[in-house]
Amino acid sequence: MQDKKAKKENLISVFLLKYELLHVAGNPYVHIFGVGLPVLLAMLITKVALSDLPGEQWQPMATTSIYLGMGTLIPMAVLLMGYAVSYAQELSRGIPERLQLFGINKTALFCNRALLQFLFLLLAFAVFFLSGCLCYKLQRPTLYGLFAYVLCMAAFSMICLALGHGIACVCRSFGKTYCVSIMLYFAFMILGGMMGISYQDLPKWVQSAAKLLPVTYINRDFYKIWTGETYNYIPMLQSYLFLGAVSGILLFLALRGNAGIGLRSRMHGSDSTFPCL
Amino acid sequence: MLLKIENLTVQFGKFRALDIHTPICIENGDRIGIIGSNGAGKSTMIKSILGLVPYQGKIYSTLQPKQIATHMQFNEYTDNMPVRYIMEAILQTRIAKNKELQELIDYFEFGGCLKKRYSKLSGGQKQRFTIIMILMQDAPLTFYDEVTSGLDFETRQKLVEKLVEWYRGKDSSLCIVSHYYEELEQLADKLLILDQGRVVDFGYREELFQKYCKRAVIVLDASEKNKELTADCKKLASPEHLLVLSAATEEEEQKVTARLVNHNVNFKRSNHDIESIYINAKHAYERKQEGNGYAG
Repeated sequence: MQDKKAKKENLISVFLLKYELLHVAGNPYVHIFGVGLPVLLAMLITKVALSDLPGEQWQPMATTSIYLGMGTLIPMAVLLMGYAVSYAQELSRGIPERLQLFGINKTALFCNRALLQFLFLLLAFAVFFLSGCLCYKLQRPTLYGLFAYVLCMAAFSMICLALGHGIACVCRSFGKTYCVSIMLYFAFMILGGMMGISYQDLPKWVQSAAKLLPVTYINRDFYKIWTGETYNYIPMLQSYLFLGAVSGILLFLALRGNAGIGLRSRMHGSDSTFPCL
Repeated sequence: MLLKIENLTVQFGKFRALDIHTPICIENGDRIGIIGSNGAGKSTMIKSILGLVPYQGKIYSTLQPKQIATHMQFNEYTDNMPVRYIMEAILQTRIAKNKELQELIDYFEFGGCLKKRYSKLSGGQKQRFTIIMILMQDAPLTFYDEVTSGLDFETRQKLVEKLVEWYRGKDSSLCIVSHYYEELEQLADKLLILDQGRVVDFGYREELFQKYCKRAVIVLDASEKNKELTADCKKLASPEHLLVLSAATEEEEQKVTARLVNHNVNFKRSNHDIESIYINAKHAYERKQEGNGYAG
């Protein structure tokens, strides 16, 4: 029995990873919005964009630029929407508390879930770029460009995860979380220039809001970084810091609000008063 | 002592859901039935012990958090996978490689359900699924909160029989919340009676029976004929459709039962009837409160 207990102390466990894998595999939102939609949208938009191009020499640039921008849809759909909606549904049914009563704490659950979500993201990106390479001619990145893209997507994914988790913890219901996350999803798409209106064509006041989002820079400028051109990172970095701070605060508030469900650990062997707040 | 509660209060807005001033001790090997009407604070008490609701007061324990197993009133799991994977993730083991778990699955006749998703299980199967995992925890203290509610009579009987059999001879402590007193008669040797968040009484079932019902109770229909026939007998508080007679001595009991037999009246005799304990303990508590004001 002691061995069984000891195993549960590990943050990452094979059994929990398998559980999370099946959990993600059984979540239709991440498949539809996280894999299907980006692939389909990128193909359609690329096809339309290519038909408007004056010459074939611009095709790799246009295609690569579109695919790099559309790639941001994957973490948004998988984490900001899919994860948030699924977790909110679990919270409303008391599933994390039930698992906690079995000795699986929320931190362990979150760590395994986060790891699995990132593995799923890798797979989704592979499918996305593979489909792009099969259908269109994508430009090869420089090593530095590829590294920068992976780094930017990883950071953006973390922000999406924090936002998704925070929204789910605050809303605690499927309906509300779905509503908030889909609004953010489309807002990010529109402001990032992925819905047919580019940043330059947006009204000035909307541009001010768009400047605060990393998706704007990834969609508009990442081709330069991808091909190794010189690029001023400061505005993009500021947008990351801004959105990172917003998601961090939301996550902090959400976790603080949920602190009431601090399972019994505080009572052990003690004789003080325990207002569980 | 495994756990001790002192001055425990739980407040939901203006409503005080729990207000326990009588110290409650859970000792090793205790089998405690927690009874009371809806809203009495039974589930709230368990949730406060588990830290699932904000509370004020003192809860002492020698147990590590993981040494307390809990079957909540509502147990939900993800529906994205067959339940076998949920079981393996929670217990951190493979069913195929764990003999103890296989035995438990067989004992609760759950083998055929492992490939099903949680929502596809029947009420009884859902309860058994959680119970198997709880029993695998092998905890010194286990809470069962209305483990058989919503189940039909036969399923309920079978489940309780399995639990009684499982815990026979084991020294683990149990706290069982239930509205079905016949289950508690099989599972519990102590009773904690709650009413409107307060402790009405707590103690061994036999002692409480002696205290509130004396030697034995004789239960019969509250017909006019029976009322006339038992007019001179000592009556206890009871549901309206029943007459509950109290017998303090063997002679008294024989006198009453002989009379009932002579008049061809059906009756039930008991020396551990939990319903009678509950009703009369509550009755006595209410009278005490009326006399003394709030006592806790």
